[in-house]
Amino acid sequence: MAKYPFAPQAAQRVQELDHRTTELESQEYAKILQRAEQRIDEAIKTKQVTLPLSFDDETELLSFPIAMMMVISSNDKSLKRTYALAEAKRAYTLLKQENRTKLVAIGHLFNWKIRPVEVYTKNLGSGALGLSLDFANYLKNSTIFHESKWKLVNRNMLSGEVFVTADEAARLLAEEVRVNIEKKLDLEMDIGLPLTLVSKVEKLRQLYTELRKLQEEEMPKEVVVESFPPCINRLYNTAIAQQHLSHIERFTLTSFLLNSGMSIEKIVECFRPTSDFSEKMTRYQVEHIAGGKGSRTKYKPPMCSTLRTHRLCPGSDKTCENIYGPLGYYKARLRTRPQETSEKIRA
Amino acid sequence: MNGIQTQAFIQHKFAEYYNQNSGNIEPPTSIGTREFAFSLFRQKTMLRHKGFQDARGFQEFLKRLSPGDVYYSSAYYESPEEEMLRKGWLGADLIFDIDADHIPTACDKSHDIWICKDCNSAGHAARPEKCPQCGGQKFSVISWPCDVCLESAKREVMKLIEILEEDFGFSKQELILAFSGHRGYHVQVEAESIKTLDSMARREIADYLAGTGLEPTLHGVNTKTCVGPNLEDVGWKGRIAKGTYELLASQEELEKAGLKKVSAAIGSQGKVVQDRWRKKGPWGLVVGVGAEGWENIVQGAVAMQSVKIDTVVTADVHRLIRLANTIHRETGLRKVQILPSGIEQFDPFRSAIAFNQGFVTVDIVEAPEFRIEDTSYGPFKNQRVELPTAAAMFLLCKGAAHTTEDSATVQ
Repeated sequence: MAKYPFAPQAAQRVQELDHRTTELESQEYAKILQRAEQRIDEAIKTKQVTLPLSFDDETELLSFPIAMMMVISSNDKSLKRTYALAEAKRAYTLLKQENRTKLVAIGHLFNWKIRPVEVYTKNLGSGALGLSLDFANYLKNSTIFHESKWKLVNRNMLSGEVFVTADEAARLLAEEVRVNIEKKLDLEMDIGLPLTLVSKVEKLRQLYTELRKLQEEEMPKEVVVESFPPCINRLYNTAIAQQHLSHIERFTLTSFLLNSGMSIEKIVECFRPTSDFSEKMTRYQVEHIAGGKGSRTKYKPPMCSTLRTHRLCPGSDKTCENIYGPLGYYKARLRTRPQETSEKIRA
Repeated sequence: MNGIQTQAFIQHKFAEYYNQNSGNIEPPTSIGTREFAFSLFRQKTMLRHKGFQDARGFQEFLKRLSPGDVYYSSAYYESPEEEMLRKGWLGADLIFDIDADHIPTACDKSHDIWICKDCNSAGHAARPEKCPQCGGQKFSVISWPCDVCLESAKREVMKLIEILEEDFGFSKQELILAFSGHRGYHVQVEAESIKTLDSMARREIADYLAGTGLEPTLHGVNTKTCVGPNLEDVGWKGRIAKGTYELLASQEELEKAGLKKVSAAIGSQGKVVQDRWRKKGPWGLVVGVGAEGWENIVQGAVAMQSVKIDTVVTADVHRLIRLANTIHRETGLRKVQILPSGIEQFDPFRSAIAFNQGFVTVDIVEAPEFRIEDTSYGPFKNQRVELPTAAAMFLLCKGAAHTTEDSATVQ
């Protein structure tokens, strides 16, 4: 339980603690509070909660729900996400050391249909010990991963079961942990933490905000065409070469340009040369994607996986390997671009 | 008679159908959580966000409304009558749409007519990228369902069902199969396990079926050493092997896949190569075929084995789909459910007929040859013809014919 404090059995303890938040200031909780604070601090600074050597099991277990309460009371969505990810990374470090029987048991905690199997591919002479996992459980936790080996089409699947190695199962379980923690953190509840804890939460929140500001680069004021990813480049060139774009191509290009800071005026201008150009309609569509019309949602460009499905990915280059969508590519390239030679478009 | 009277005639026929048959039109499962939508005659916008509590209420409504098309949401909602953002999405069935439009067919869609919206020039076959006359890129298209198109779509459905059963483990009871009423088929999975999958997960399923993003090396293919999976392997491994095995022995298929060079290199050796696969194991060197050649063969094999589904439909968790036993406004044919075991024998131009009484005289502008039950009709151009109602309605709904002064009286 100390290893996996997010497990339902461990949650029992959270219930008990809920009734005793007023006692948190007492001396017997000092060590637990110290570890809870450390969990959040580590998440903020190193994006991963460590496996402690200096704390006993009881402290490790009880510090988790307290850290959770503290993060909830921060009311900071981004901090919540960071914390969930850091706890999932901690879980992954532990999960990948577990044997298949234990992984199956942990999978069952999350209602996974999972069992140990041995797969042998005769012709390829390769045998492997691994696990079979229901494809729906697999998909719910794998679509976030970018590497091609995680795509369902690249897996062995039979009768609804996907074959995974023990390490892959650990990674998928860690993702399940992340989503579960994030869901719990998103619950809105009035926790009523003691004042000393409230001030600790506030300090951690401030630390988080400061560190994030340092990491965040601002989008440049001008759009840098040469940093566009290959997919957007193709669409952009098609648009300005007066050629036809399908609905999804138009949406991808427009949402990308808007998010990279190009003005609505300038985007309407890009579409002007096409033979089926209607300024009024184009302006309406661009404003809609910008969040100014209809649903008021500001749209983000589709992710790489979506673009691949719709055959809009012209093939990836080196930068594509580490990103999930065209905007990620753009930001990554902006970081490394030579400053003087850029072709710029005034936004 | 003019277009308005033709529309009135079609509407009258549809009303007759719903008057007589709405009691037999089964609503979808979980009716209380589905959104319903209707296209109406004489109105451009759809009637949307309708909800019904039971079959009777729905059937009564259908009788009163006599709509052009009837749809329901693949999604389940807490409040189906609310606007989209407030509906409260609870889950959705998994939908596959196979349409002849997405499949290269032997008929080459030579029955279809495209009309350039800029210069009005027209032609037969699938719409071109650009108008050969004026370079315009906007077209209106009159597409015709034909036996060849629908047979190709049927082959894809059979591939789809095989993968859904073998790879995804769905049972026959979980698969609902139907002729769409136009140029294709719908396959719908109603299973608890897939209900809450998000759009990303559904896209992965679509990619699996379409072979999108497949990397042969991850299935054990090494084109340099000529090693790869075997025919009896499961999933895509086996499919890559089967596709490759079939391609090797057929120069025709190789050429169809655009592999002229490989075809020339293999020549008539295909059967020998296949023989070696069976006796000594799969793959192995083939004189004249290098790593690049093998890569192309494998790519062709994947394309052959993949299912030509409309991936946008499968990924959409809010899709509206036509309800079985209602009529397709563009053909006058019914959407018909088919048992998976009956797909091979299914004949849409027999089983999907909605209007089987009487004759109607129509003025036909232009129509290719088509078949209803055992009789072929056409081709027609600028002709007045008396046709059985099903054939006449088909042309009227397609916009290829008008009613005449006699239409309303000859029943």
